[in-house]
Order: sequence, then structure tokens, then C-alpha cells
Amino acid sequence: MNAANERLHPGQVGWLLFALALVTLPHVERLPWWVTLLAVTLLIWRIYITWHALHMPPKWLLFVIAGGTIGGIYLHYGRLLGRDSGVTLLVVMLALKLLEMAALRDAMVLVFLCYFLVITNFLYSQTIPTALYLLLVVWVITATLIGFQFRQQQPGFRYQFRSAGMLLLQSVPLMLVLFVLFPRVSGPLWGMPQDALSGTTGLSDEMSPGSVSKLLTSDAVALRATFRSEVPRANQLYWRGPVMWDFDGYTWTASRLGNQLQREVQRSGNPIEYTVTVEPHSRRWLFALDLPARAPAPARLTGDFQILSPAPVSRRTRYDMVSHANWRDNAELQSFEKQRALALPARSNPRSAALAERMRKGVADDRAYAAAVLAMFSNQNFYYTTTPPLLGTNPVDEFLFSTKAGFCEHYASAFAVLMRAGGVPARVVTGYQGGEVNYVGAYLTVRQADAHAWTEVWFTNEGWVRVDPTAAVSPNRVESGIAAAAPQSESLPRQVRGEYEWLQRARMTWDSATNSWNQLVLEYTQERQFQLMERAGIDNATWQKLATIMFMLATAVTLVIGLIMLYRVRAQRPDPLVHAYNRFCAKLARHGVTRHPSEGPVAFSRRAGATRPDLRDLIETISAFYVQLRYGSSASATGAKELMAKVNAFPSA
Amino acid sequence: MHREQIDNVVKQISQVILGKERQIRLSVACLLARGHLLIEDIPGVGKTTLAHTLAAVLGLQFQRIQFTSDLLPADILGVSIYDRDSGKFRFHPGPIFSQVILADEVNRATPKTQSALLEAMEEHQVTAEGETRPLPEPFFVIATQNPSNQIGTFPLPESQLDRFLMRIELGYPDAGAERALLQGADRRDLLPKLTPALQPAELAAVQTAVRAVHVSSALLDYLQALVDYSRKSPDYVSGLSPRAALALLAAARAWALMEGRNQVLPEDLQAIVPGVVGHRLFVARDSTRINGAAVSENLIEAVPIP
Amino acid sequence: MLRPLGAPYRKVRGYFERWLFQLHGAQSGSIVLVQRRIFILPSRYGIMYIIALMLMLTGSINYNLSLGFVLTFLLGALGVNSILHTFRNLARLKISPGRVEPVFCGEHAHFTLVFDNPGTLVRYSVGLTRDGKHEIYIDVAANQSATARVAIPAERRGVLRPGRVTVFTRFPLGLCYAWAYADLDIRCTVYPRIEVATPPLPVPEAHHGNGIAHGSGQEDFAGLRSYSPGDSPRHIAWKAAARGQGLMTKQFSGRADTELWLDWLATPAALGTEARLSRLTRWVIDAHAASISFGLRIPGIALQPAPGDAQRERCLEALAMFDAGRTP
Repeated sequence: MNAANERLHPGQVGWLLFALALVTLPHVERLPWWVTLLAVTLLIWRIYITWHALHMPPKWLLFVIAGGTIGGIYLHYGRLLGRDSGVTLLVVMLALKLLEMAALRDAMVLVFLCYFLVITNFLYSQTIPTALYLLLVVWVITATLIGFQFRQQQPGFRYQFRSAGMLLLQSVPLMLVLFVLFPRVSGPLWGMPQDALSGTTGLSDEMSPGSVSKLLTSDAVALRATFRSEVPRANQLYWRGPVMWDFDGYTWTASRLGNQLQREVQRSGNPIEYTVTVEPHSRRWLFALDLPARAPAPARLTGDFQILSPAPVSRRTRYDMVSHANWRDNAELQSFEKQRALALPARSNPRSAALAERMRKGVADDRAYAAAVLAMFSNQNFYYTTTPPLLGTNPVDEFLFSTKAGFCEHYASAFAVLMRAGGVPARVVTGYQGGEVNYVGAYLTVRQADAHAWTEVWFTNEGWVRVDPTAAVSPNRVESGIAAAAPQSESLPRQVRGEYEWLQRARMTWDSATNSWNQLVLEYTQERQFQLMERAGIDNATWQKLATIMFMLATAVTLVIGLIMLYRVRAQRPDPLVHAYNRFCAKLARHGVTRHPSEGPVAFSRRAGATRPDLRDLIETISAFYVQLRYGSSASATGAKELMAKVNAFPSA
Repeated sequence: MHREQIDNVVKQISQVILGKERQIRLSVACLLARGHLLIEDIPGVGKTTLAHTLAAVLGLQFQRIQFTSDLLPADILGVSIYDRDSGKFRFHPGPIFSQVILADEVNRATPKTQSALLEAMEEHQVTAEGETRPLPEPFFVIATQNPSNQIGTFPLPESQLDRFLMRIELGYPDAGAERALLQGADRRDLLPKLTPALQPAELAAVQTAVRAVHVSSALLDYLQALVDYSRKSPDYVSGLSPRAALALLAAARAWALMEGRNQVLPEDLQAIVPGVVGHRLFVARDSTRINGAAVSENLIEAVPIP
Repeated sequence: MLRPLGAPYRKVRGYFERWLFQLHGAQSGSIVLVQRRIFILPSRYGIMYIIALMLMLTGSINYNLSLGFVLTFLLGALGVNSILHTFRNLARLKISPGRVEPVFCGEHAHFTLVFDNPGTLVRYSVGLTRDGKHEIYIDVAANQSATARVAIPAERRGVLRPGRVTVFTRFPLGLCYAWAYADLDIRCTVYPRIEVATPPLPVPEAHHGNGIAHGSGQEDFAGLRSYSPGDSPRHIAWKAAARGQGLMTKQFSGRADTELWLDWLATPAALGTEARLSRLTRWVIDAHAASISFGLRIPGIALQPAPGDAQRERCLEALAMFDAGRTP
């Protein structure tokens, strides 16, 4: 019977279903509920068919189900060829294929689809746990594949798993060679589906009351930074993000284009050198400490010191940065800039405007005015909370005069409004403040929960100056981070709160591992590939060179593995006694007497002795000794060695 | 010690049967291994003389049964005859109740009679009229057989041949031996002059010594390789049976002892293979079977000593 | 294919294959599957696997999935490894011809191949095929041997040889197809087809050796006489003996000891050679089953009467090898 048409054992079907379930499991949370339900139903149906050895459902029924599902997916996602809809389609097709799977041929196709489905999981997550889980899944799939190949005896799943494990382990060296040396191409080959990057969290280009505090519950990492020298003090860790100029009374908005002007800045003090790895957030900002000295290519530095990448940050990006903690903005404020920095919508927040006018009149200059406002925040019972009351159409008024409880964005917004109303140019800057030093990996982790908003105001002769009104209310926020600032009762990510030391250590180790994973595995790009080559002494690496080295190394690795493997098919090493005797015979053969394989040792020694009378005594001694050891009744542990010694002493031809 | 005794036996026989030392040694080995012997050849080459001489030299009680087509089982085993005096049936033992039986021209008898003999050989006892009677110890059967293509014979079936430990062929004597034969006295006249070279107790001791000869696992490997080859090779009609393997081992032990060794060597096994294997292994694909010697040479050549 | 070029194409292809696959006709003795005897190519599934890997690689490049690269390369290395493993599954196997029982024409000849595994590795799913359609599989345990039986329909009387057998495996992943050709020198004797009808055995004849079938009357029961040594036991009147009349020998007209000759000339010439051989075959089987001593006479060969299995085989073999053209 031809192998391809061979029917499947229930055990084989069982393992395949198991592998399929494992590979689909991580997708379940992303699938529409009805697709999950359908897939589970089809799976159970298939188990039922196998269990009771029933017939497969008719083809037309499967077509109807397929057609209906495709329609449903189109309605749900609005497209068929996106990332999510594609994966959903694949899952559905796989489940339907199950009900068509009768022969080995179909099962093999399913196994390959399983492998393919593994890779779709990486579109969503490439963390260490995902990698480990999917490695396990690959193991199960490979074991299933091995199970399909038995034609006679089924040695059982233990054997399958052991072989699959061995096969995968033996594949690791070659995989490493290919991974390190396969010439990487940067950038997508074709356009990515539009939904490829949805679902990432991060700062937005708008800020309205409550928008930043949404990030507070997220322990997702925003960026990691490794400093060349010491990590700056916490109150200097202002990670500059979107700068917002425009206020409509409720929401602050960053301009999408960015300011094109180049500004003269006087930087002083030691430059801070560090490397940032920013997580993808689908926006164009690259974060840097106040104040960035330059932008990493191909990004550019705008007039308001944002770093804008030419395209949304769709993948983890790493760049070297230099910043200066002390700086002075010397340039003049252009009139259109001034106009923008003072603009307030008419009729919004009228009480705040009135308050600002009153307070500005009471002080001498802009700087004194700003100090007075900050003093107001700290003296009146303003209250820092991560769960502020909801605000209505005039949020600044409500905040300043009634609720008096808020989060950084409230303070920044209110402060900027008061400044503008008092005739001082002001803008809101959002970004991250602080971060956690990971002493295991010696780097700084900044999470989404560290999101922050502050203001910058323009003072004549001083230029733009950073003023953080939150610090006036809650100095802890800036000095020690959000956990110290927020009341204990409020919910924050566990990571942000203090904890047991061992737990913290474990968490930091894990984060450090994640960081290394990100740096070494996930961020292994063409650039790093060439760096590695340079370090290995290969200058001017081109992809041709890489490919050549890759092929050479891959061949070498395969040869070595092949030789090790083939060792096991060789005949077993003979008994040491026989080995010694064979050497003796080989020596005699060079003397001109060849032993026939079926010639007994005594007969041979007699013949050899007759041919070479000069050696007869030696030949007979050795033969008799061998005969006694091999066929005699007295066993001797050292006999083989003694025989070998005698054979070695036997004269060579 | 045993070696000298056995050499003496062989020497005595060789004085009667000229130029056939190898066959003589084989037949002595066969008897020492407590096996039965089949001598097959055309009439007149000295089959019966060899059997006679063997019995005489070993000093054993000897009976000759001439097999004819009218020989009945009872003629061999014995009959119960009604004894008028005692009013009971009394068993008159047949010629089989002796230590050495010469079954002359065994293939002349009917299969029924043949199987009566062969059963007795196998079981070392006779069951007649519901009573089981043991045969004497030692008990040897030396059967002679004419080549099967002669008319009016019932060649022993292959399954029965297996009961004989060895089969030997005498063949024509070489020129020197034949001249000596022609010049010398009648062989049969020499027989009464033979004196037993072994006492019954000595024979029993030698037989016990045969069983004590050491067999190493290396030798068993070789034996198994031989048997395995005969079973797998397409050259043979059917492979050697486990009984044949046991026969090889027993005969090899006897041979080793005759060679004065206390352990079996591959050479010993090779020496007895022609006798043991010749009537058990048949070359396939040929309508005329190769004689025993060629089959065994074939086998020995083909299997390397492990 | 190119129809007009069919024959030359086949010829060139034949040369090419003989050169590439080292086909040198049947080999006596056993064959050890050494490296140059084993060929390996991706199987149909292997090609599917390669395509799937290509898709995965493109996806990984496009989405810049580092783990996608890891997975693709791991699976690629797995594929390369499976070449080695599949090759290893055949390597160093020793194939020897096994025993073949003669068969009658119309039956299946069963050729036995003995696979010896000298290593410590179990060889699973080693396949055997002659025509590429029917496949049989065996497992060869470590340091042991296993036998595979290839059934081939015996369609013609005479000697049947299995010809070139392909030994192959896809183990362990089914991605590669490793194969070797084994052209062993094995023959199976195919006896003539047994005639379906059961014609009665010919009558025993009085004088052997004169080649003419005698008519009836020769075996007429003529009476009993007292037994004398040398009489065939088959002719003893056992029933009479049982009645206590002593041993009596049945006497037939003609010779006392008649013999059954199965003679070519006793079969009607109108049947044709094969049918005549079929009838003789039938007779040999029947005579053997009846435990009768019988002889066979066909042109060029005469086998003396004898009973038993050996005689049956001798006669059948002679019938199988009978060459009508060669005989006078």
C-alpha cells in the first residue's frame, strides 16, 4: 500500500489534535469568540469521529462552513488580508482541514500548517515565555511528525519525544550559524498590513484630563537606557516626548509636523552619554533626556527639542544619545511662536483667566509670577492622586477651584493655562519621568507607568525653562517616582510599588534577562551583524561575505554532526580479545600469511608457522594464548591487555 | 589419559579398516557423544566390518540385525509368547536389547519396521504390549544404508535421518590401502582377534568426560552463526534444526576430547560438521544433491569465525 | 514525453541511470548499503516543507521577526538534519538473499530478503518496493536482522527472479526519500501451473524403460501366493494376514512389482506443451499424495521411480525447467 494513502491511527490523530490545540492556544485571546467556539466545536467533532471511527462529514458541508466563516471574518475585521484576519482565517482553515483529514497526506499538510501557525504567534509577542512555550510546541509538532513515519511497530510516544528532542537539539548549532550569519535585510519587503502594529501602548500626541493616567496601570516597558557613566539623579530624568502647543480649552495637542526652526542652545556641564532602546509605540517620537544634543540618524531634532523619527517606531529601536542637564536657550522667540505659546481659546476656563490676571498684577515679573503660581499649588490644599475626579467642559477651572485633586497632567495643564493667561508663553511637554535602576543589568527601565507631563515657560533673557508644577505639589513624584507619590490605596502596577527584596531581585533579574534577550536576539539587525563581523576581524562585511561564511560554517557544522551521528551505525567495537587477535592476523598478513575468515586459530597458526618457520614459536605462543583466553574456561580480566602487548611485540613485516 | 585410550581404540580399528582414519575418528566421536551412527555407501566398501570392529574394540555386547523387506517390528523389539507352563504371556526380548546394534541395510525394511527401530533409538526404551522396557546402557545403533537410488529400497525419510547424530560415507579406499587390503588377510578373520580397548566403566568415564568439555560463549557464537547461516541462506532447502545444533555441540565436544583438549575450538566444530550436517542439510535448486562433504565445506567456508 | 524520441530517450536514460546508480546487474551474495549506494532527495512532503520555510523566511524578513528567523532556521536545520537521519536509517544495512520456496505457476513467489543491522540503532520503517506502487515495511532492531518477504506473482514456469528491488526509507520526518537499489541474485523455481481438472493417474506399467504407455489389463489381480522375502510390502495381502492366514503376496498379471511412470507421451499432444506439463504436474502431486513410488519421463529426462518428498521436488523441478525447444 502506498504510504501517502495510508490511514491514520487514532493515536497519531490524537497527537496532531494536541499539537494543534497548543499552537492555537495563544491566539485564542485575540480571536473573535465565535471563531474560538467554532474551532473548538470542530476539534471535538474530529475527536468524536476518531473515537467512534465514523465517516468524515461531506465536502459541501465544509464548504458551507468555510464560506460562512470567511464572511463572518470579513464583517468582523472589515478586511481579509490583515494580520488579525489572516491569522483568524488560518485558524479556521486548520480546524476545517481537520475534518477533511483522512489519510497521512492530509496530516502532513496539517503538520506544516502547525509549524506555520507557530510563526504567526511571533507577530504578537516575542518575549522569552512565548519563545519557550512555542519551542515546546515545536517539540510536540515534531514528535507528532515522527509518529506519522512508523509503518510497522509503534515504539510509543516516549520514543517519539526523545527522537524529536534529539533532532531539535542537533539542529541548534546549525540554527545558530544561520541566525548569526544569514544576511539580514532591513525594512519590510512589502507594505505591512495596516493592523500589524495595533495594540501597542504609549504616549499620544494629545493630552486631555485623564489621558496620561490611563498609562499608569500599565507595567509595559517604554524604554530602557544604559548610561555610559553614572545614572543621573532622579530629578534630572526627564525623558522628553511630544511637546504640546495648542490648547482648545480641554485638550492639548502636539503638532504633527514639528517645529522646523533651529535654535541656538548653550549647553554646559558634562554631557550625559547613554544608549536608549525604545519599545515600539507606533508614533514617531524617540525619547531622550532633557536636553538632547543631537538626534540619531535618520531622525531629526525639532525646534522644540523633540526627536522625530521619519516613520512611526514600529519596532524596538536602539540609539546612542548625548544630553546635557544644564542648558540655556538663547534664541529669540519668534513672533508666531510667541503667538502660539500664548494662545488660549476664548470663553474657556474664565475663572482661571481671571485668577491669572489678578495674580500677575500682584508680582513684578514673569519669574515671580510663575513662583507665585507654584506656591499656590503647594500652599493651598492641592492633592496628588492617580484617580482624579472627572472634569467637565472647563477642566482647568474645575480643577483649580473645586476638585483640587489631580495628576501631573492636571497640574501641567493648569499651570500652562495660568501662565498663558498671565501673558507668559508656555507649552506642555509630555514624556516619562524617572525610571527604575536595574542593578542586575546596570541599566534604567522606564515603564509606561512613569508617564509624566510638565511645562516649559519662556522667560525673557532665559529662554525656555522647564517648570514641573507636579513637583510643587508632590516632590516625591519627581524624587522617588510615582509609587512614593501616589497614596497606597491607589492601584498601580506591582512593579512600581515597593516589595520584598527577593521579589524585587527576581523581578530585576527577569527584566535584565528580557533586556538581554531584546538586545541580543530580537534586536539582532544588519547593523549589529556587521558590528559582530568587525569584532571577529572581518572588515567591510558585505552580505556576500556573510553568505560565504555562513555556507562554509553550515557545511562544517553539518559534517561534524553527520559524523557523530553515523558513528552509531557502525558495527560495534569487537571484543578487545578479538581486536587484539585481528591485529595479530593483520600483522601476519603483511608477513604474507592471510587468515581466511573461517579459518580456526590453531589451523591458522599451524599454516602460518609452516610458511614462516622463523616466527613459528612466536606465532604458536600467541595463538595458544589467544585460544586459551577465548575458548578456554579460565576467564582473565587482564588477558586482552597481555595479548595486545604480545601482539605489539610481534615483529612487523 | 582419555586421549591415549581413544587413540588406542582408533589405532585398533585402523588395523582392520585401512586408510579411513578420518571416518573412523568421526564414528568414534559419534559413539563417545552417545549418538547413533549411519554409514551410507555402496555395498562392499566395508560398512559392516567397520560396525563390527567398533563394537568389538569397545568391548560391547553386539547384535546384528539384517534388515529385509519382510522384517517386522516384532522381529526387532521382541514378542510376548504364551507360556503354557505359567499360563501367562512371557516377553521374549528382540535383538534390540543389546549394547551395540548393527542395523544392516536399514533401508531395505518397510517404513513401519524402520520407525520401530528409530523410536527405540530416540527413547532408549521399548514399549511393547503396553509395557515399557528400558534398553541397556550404553546403547548404540550403527545403521548401514545403501544409496537410495537402488531399486527395492525405502530410503529413510529426512525427518528420521535427524535421529542419527552422524552419517559418514566410506568411499573407495585409496590405491595403497586397497593394495594392503588385497595382500592382507580377510578382514573378517581379523575381528575375533581384536581385544577390547576399553572396559565398560572406562567407556562410561570417557563419555562423562566428553560432557565436561568446556564450551566458551565465543564458540557458541560461532555455532549459532553456522546454524543461522544455514537457516537464512538460499543455498539450502531448510536450515539446521535446534536438534542439529545440539548434535553439533555434542560431537564437537567428543572431537575436542579426542584431540586431547578440554575446550572446544572452532576447528573441532569444523571437523565434525561433515558428519553431522551431511544428512541434515540439502543444497537447494539442484536436482542432484551435492554430497555431504561439499555441503559442509560450503557452510564452513561461508561463515566467518566471530 | 517526446513521442518520436521515445526509444532513444529511454536508451540514453538507461545509460545515465546505470552510470548514476551504479547498476551492474544482479549481485551474488549480500549487499551492504554503503554511502555510494544510497541516494537521497527531498520527498514530496520535503518540497512542501521547503516551500513553507520559504514563506516563513519571507514573513520573518518582512515583519522583522527575530524569533521568526530563529524558528525558520531551526526548522531549516531540522530539515538538513533529517537528511542525515534518513540517510543513516539505511546506512550500513546488509541485505542478503533469504530462502525461497518454489511455487506453482499462478501463485505468488515469496522472496525473502534478510536485513542485518550491525549498529546499535533501530532502523524503523525501512521500505521495500519493486514497482513503486506496492510497498512493504520492516523494522530492523539494533544488532539484529529482520526478514522482508516480497511477493511476486509467478506468471511463467521456470526460474523467476525478483530483479531490482528498491530499498527506501523516509524515516524519521518523512521529508527526505533515501533509497538504494538491491539487485540480488535470488531465483525462485516456478513449477508448471497445476491442472485444475483431476485426470486419473496413468496405470502402472510392467516394463519400465520402454517409454510406451500400456493399456489396461496389466494390473489385473491374478491371485495370492505365499510370501517370500523381498516382496514389496505394498503387495502383501494385509487383510489376509489379519485374518490369520499368514503372509500372502498379491499377484498381478504381468510383473509382480509394477511401477508408475508419469510419461510425457501419455498426455495428449493436442493439449500443447504447457497444458501437458500441467497435467504431469497434477499427476506428480497426486502420486506423491497417494504415497506411491513414481517416475517421470519427459523428453530428454527420465527420473527413476521413487517415493517421497525428494522425488516430488525432483520431478517438479524437471517439469519447471523443461525446455520444449531444446529437446529432440
